[in-house]
Amino acid sequence: MELAKGGTPAGLIATATFQPLAVSELQALGMGGLPLLVIDHPLGGEKPEGVLRRAHQAVEELAALLGASR
Amino acid sequence: MTLRSEVLELSDSPDAVYEAFCEREWCDGLPIIPPTPERVEAMLAAVTGDPGESLGPLPPLWREATLEKLAVNAVMAGCLPEHFPVVVAAVEAMLDPAFNLYGVQATTHPVAPLLILNGPYARAIGMHGGAGCFGPGFRANATIGRAIRLILMNVGGGWPGRHDMATHGSPAKFSYAIAENEATNPWQPLHVELGFGPDESVVTVFGGEAPHNVNDHVSATASGILNTVSDTAATLGSNVKWYLSQSQLLVVLGPEHAATIAGDNFGKDDVRAFVFEHARLPLGTLKLGGMWGIQDWPRWMMAVTDDRTLLPIVASPKEIFVIVAGGAGKHSAVVPNCTFSRAVSRPLTRVRP
Repeated sequence: MELAKGGTPAGLIATATFQPLAVSELQALGMGGLPLLVIDHPLGGEKPEGVLRRAHQAVEELAALLGASR
Repeated sequence: MTLRSEVLELSDSPDAVYEAFCEREWCDGLPIIPPTPERVEAMLAAVTGDPGESLGPLPPLWREATLEKLAVNAVMAGCLPEHFPVVVAAVEAMLDPAFNLYGVQATTHPVAPLLILNGPYARAIGMHGGAGCFGPGFRANATIGRAIRLILMNVGGGWPGRHDMATHGSPAKFSYAIAENEATNPWQPLHVELGFGPDESVVTVFGGEAPHNVNDHVSATASGILNTVSDTAATLGSNVKWYLSQSQLLVVLGPEHAATIAGDNFGKDDVRAFVFEHARLPLGTLKLGGMWGIQDWPRWMMAVTDDRTLLPIVASPKEIFVIVAGGAGKHSAVVPNCTFSRAVSRPLTRVRP
């Protein structure tokens, strides 16, 4: 959020279970327009190859979100 | 005194008030005392400050913790006005960035702020540190702790499953407040140890799990009891140890255990040093699960390769807090913290003379 306030493209990643908390948080802090990428829950317990696959997917989706928000 | 809260017109029946507050998700599931303007004003009269004065925004929804809102919740919890300065000081302590209240409120871990009250005010209001102190039966403990939970839910917005993401929650999230049993403490009480005067009244907030029992009916020495304490404290499933810089442990010695330990000429520094050296797990055990692989450890611990090496669960002995509480019996307790919050103490500065 501090990066976004300073003009650096920034976004938030949350799992689906934590999406309501993330949305409330963004709104409460006046950052409702910040890109929010929602990924499947849970993330913990994922095998290393799964983490890598999901990270690649999330980075691409977040980059698209950040680009769209400019 | 000007209050700004919305006024609800409800039927003058306990059932109707209880129902209305439950429907609005303004209570913890238990009946509440209706926060009428007269009761809220009486609560506010116990502290200095304007009702509209905010102690700061309370996470996770960052709503302002005004004295009026705190007083409303204290009334609902069943507090007496003389309890309110403790509630206010505890909120001040929880809002210290070191306590990381956002993390404490929103985590999946079953953490609750434990309030420990020291000094003459604890005795004056009947805050209990003796037999059964973590349990029911004592109004000051029950209502002050409950007021904190209602504030965290109603002002902070930490509703279970929505903004308080604790997987199971904890009984400690209903109410978690005690006094230290200073009368049976063979050493300095906690607040004096932390640099406050013996005549000051101080509340300490510790982001901890519910107490874990330490049963030792046979040890007649300090080392015997503290071996049992240490073994109870060091477990693979505990949060403590994984983010080492913020891991803290509270040891609550029962008076009989404390007397045995002090009888061996152990001071509190000796207790801390012993527990620091013995509450450890071998690297090979730590590799089995928990948060292995996502831990935040200092460089020297990350460099350890021998699976037999015993690694500490806190960074130094000073991260171990020792108090005396409880009644008769060969039991103590350990309270692991959530590993991302540090204990904070605040003197009671707002008691209206």
